[in-house]
Amino acid sequence: MSIVYDEQQEAIARESRRVLYARADKARLLDLLERTGAWDRTFWDTAVEQGWTALAVPEAQGGLGLGLIELGLVAQASGAATAGAPFLTSNYGVVRALQAADAELQALWLPRLATGEVVGAVAFAEGNAILPAPPAVTFADGRLNGHKPGVTAGLVADIAVVWAEHAGEPALVLAELAAVSRQPIDSFDNGRLFADLAFVDAPATLLLSGEAARFAALDLLACQAVVTAHEQVGGAEALLFVARDYANERKAFGQPIGAFQSVKHRLAELYGLVEIARANAIHAAALEGQPGFLAAAAAARLSATKAYDTAARDAVQVHGGIGTTWEGGLHLHMRRARSLAIEQGNMLFWEDLLVDELAGAGA
Amino acid sequence: MSEIEAYRQKARAWLQSVAPTYGRDALQGLSEAEHLAAGRAYQRAKFAAGFAGIHWDPELGGQGLTPLHKVVFEQEEMGFGMPIAYFGVSLGISVPIVLRFAQDRAWARERAIAALSGDEIWCQLFSEPSGGSDLAGLRTKVETEGNGWKLNGQKLWTTFAQHSDYGVIIARNDPKALKHKGLTFFWLDMKAQGVTVRPIKLAAAGHDHVNEVFFDDVRLDDGQRLSPVGGGFATAMATLMIERYSASDPAGFGPTTATFVELAKASEVNGRPAIQDGRIRSAIARSHAMRMGLEAITTRAMRMMAAGMEPGPEGSLNKLVSVRSRQKLSELAIDLMGQLGLAWDPLASSKDDWVASWLAAPTGRIAGGADEMLLNTIAEKILGLPQDHRPDKGVPFDQIPA
Repeated sequence: MSIVYDEQQEAIARESRRVLYARADKARLLDLLERTGAWDRTFWDTAVEQGWTALAVPEAQGGLGLGLIELGLVAQASGAATAGAPFLTSNYGVVRALQAADAELQALWLPRLATGEVVGAVAFAEGNAILPAPPAVTFADGRLNGHKPGVTAGLVADIAVVWAEHAGEPALVLAELAAVSRQPIDSFDNGRLFADLAFVDAPATLLLSGEAARFAALDLLACQAVVTAHEQVGGAEALLFVARDYANERKAFGQPIGAFQSVKHRLAELYGLVEIARANAIHAAALEGQPGFLAAAAAARLSATKAYDTAARDAVQVHGGIGTTWEGGLHLHMRRARSLAIEQGNMLFWEDLLVDELAGAGA
Repeated sequence: MSEIEAYRQKARAWLQSVAPTYGRDALQGLSEAEHLAAGRAYQRAKFAAGFAGIHWDPELGGQGLTPLHKVVFEQEEMGFGMPIAYFGVSLGISVPIVLRFAQDRAWARERAIAALSGDEIWCQLFSEPSGGSDLAGLRTKVETEGNGWKLNGQKLWTTFAQHSDYGVIIARNDPKALKHKGLTFFWLDMKAQGVTVRPIKLAAAGHDHVNEVFFDDVRLDDGQRLSPVGGGFATAMATLMIERYSASDPAGFGPTTATFVELAKASEVNGRPAIQDGRIRSAIARSHAMRMGLEAITTRAMRMMAAGMEPGPEGSLNKLVSVRSRQKLSELAIDLMGQLGLAWDPLASSKDDWVASWLAAPTGRIAGGADEMLLNTIAEKILGLPQDHRPDKGVPFDQIPA
């Protein structure tokens, strides 16, 4: 399945682009890079004001009841602007995980996730593995113990969905983070609020365990990967246009550098990567909850990561020296391309997952 | 079920019913003449069943449906290995351009029906030794003679000229005019006095499909002219727009990802299963992700067409991206087979056989727009980057350094 956006979706895309463009401030984003623990509150205020935090929350819980397609469009606009506190994606992950919770837990968190009052994080990874089997963090008797490194938004999140071991089986649990100790990471992309979380008898609630937990965790990662793929497409496309404009304007050897095939073809190749990634992202978003979603999400993830990394590399190259300066700001995208490439699981994880889907996991 | 989906099922049912007669297996081991005869018979069967000229005007023998119906039929047809190659240029380019520009309408209608029913085949005489990607570099000469014209020169890479009854041709009527201005467009009887066709044997075997064509004082009536005198280049460009919508193959007309996965499951690398080898897995995943993207682009374009919208320009990526990826995947498949990959069956199909796919891949990257030309087109037409430096611009053709 692949869709043509309807009028409401086109409006979301247009409006989110417009708002983020109007409020873009490169100096503010550059400043965030040099401060650990600071984040883009302006973006978050915008997200709340525009209702983006409520987009994919069920209507019964105060949300708008929309899904991956609409969230993807907002993510694409925020990717283009390297805007973004990281919560848009992880909040959605938490909303997804809460579908498995009881009504009381849903009523406790979903309305506040919709208003942006509560920030959620997803803490699956350990070591360099996005979904370790088995996880070393343990859950027993309503308490969570162990260590989760490099959690996106971990520095400020109020709750987290955690991949943990429970009675010899994998489990998904919801943990409150108020009393959890967090060690900020001085990162190359500081606005993402990466933190190491140390759980010591942290209060938590079991959502799912066993095979159901593994399945839900993969589905949640796939959903987040699709949102992120849109963000990556937005970033890659923005870089393509910036590089294109520069190539049309900058002259060398008596003509615009964009008249040289080495530059033209580099940009044409990039256009191809962006469009393939966009098509995959739209296709995957429209396939949510249907057979083939995992493979489609993997394809979207792989092609979007490739497109954004390549765009970051090539846009800087086309700009020459000016592309390497702090003030030029292209490194905002370069940094974001890499942090997004890691956040939802690296290429190696998704390549293996896709081949398992195609060839059978036993292969 | 949507009307289009119903059409797809109807097409599939018909294709299944004739596959035992015309499909891949039925064509195994046929001689060139037998294969062509099968092609004509299949085209005739399509015409009789109402699957020829799907989006053409019923007045001209067509079915009066939309381009979307045509693409749907082609998508279904692709998997069966039917002998359709002879009619691609004929029905996709040459006959439509004749229908649009021919002066004698009744004659054009006769030709259209003969072509749709497989009785006549048309070729397109564009490329020359001195002009392929640079079409307007062509040198075949057409001069006025009496109340008509006289044609001399040579064309190259002409697909199925050896089986063609007619062709459309662009030639230079005025070498003193600017390069793109001195060209005129005609149709031509391929059996006329002075036309000589010589098939070219390509590195990738199979039956010959391209030719060189020589013209020695070939006489043309002025009624065969399809463009204003000196206005042929615009007509040639119009031919490129006729087949904007045709079925594409994300596998680049080579074997599918599933075929590669089967090979990997059946192979070992240094004593370990190949399907567990990271290099092989990475190649599968990346190639599949790219192909899924191309497929999604096509699906979205079809949905836009169904909704009466104009699909975006990203459809132009298909050939560029898919064929070179097929080339590399075919190399890797032969690597995987090792010594078992040395065998070569000259009549094997590129769609099923890795060696055939690898050998024929270069043709796919050059014919119908070389990769480099496609990149230029994307850069200029879609991204708005400048044209290359062009020393031939604004210079009379006979003063351009040869």
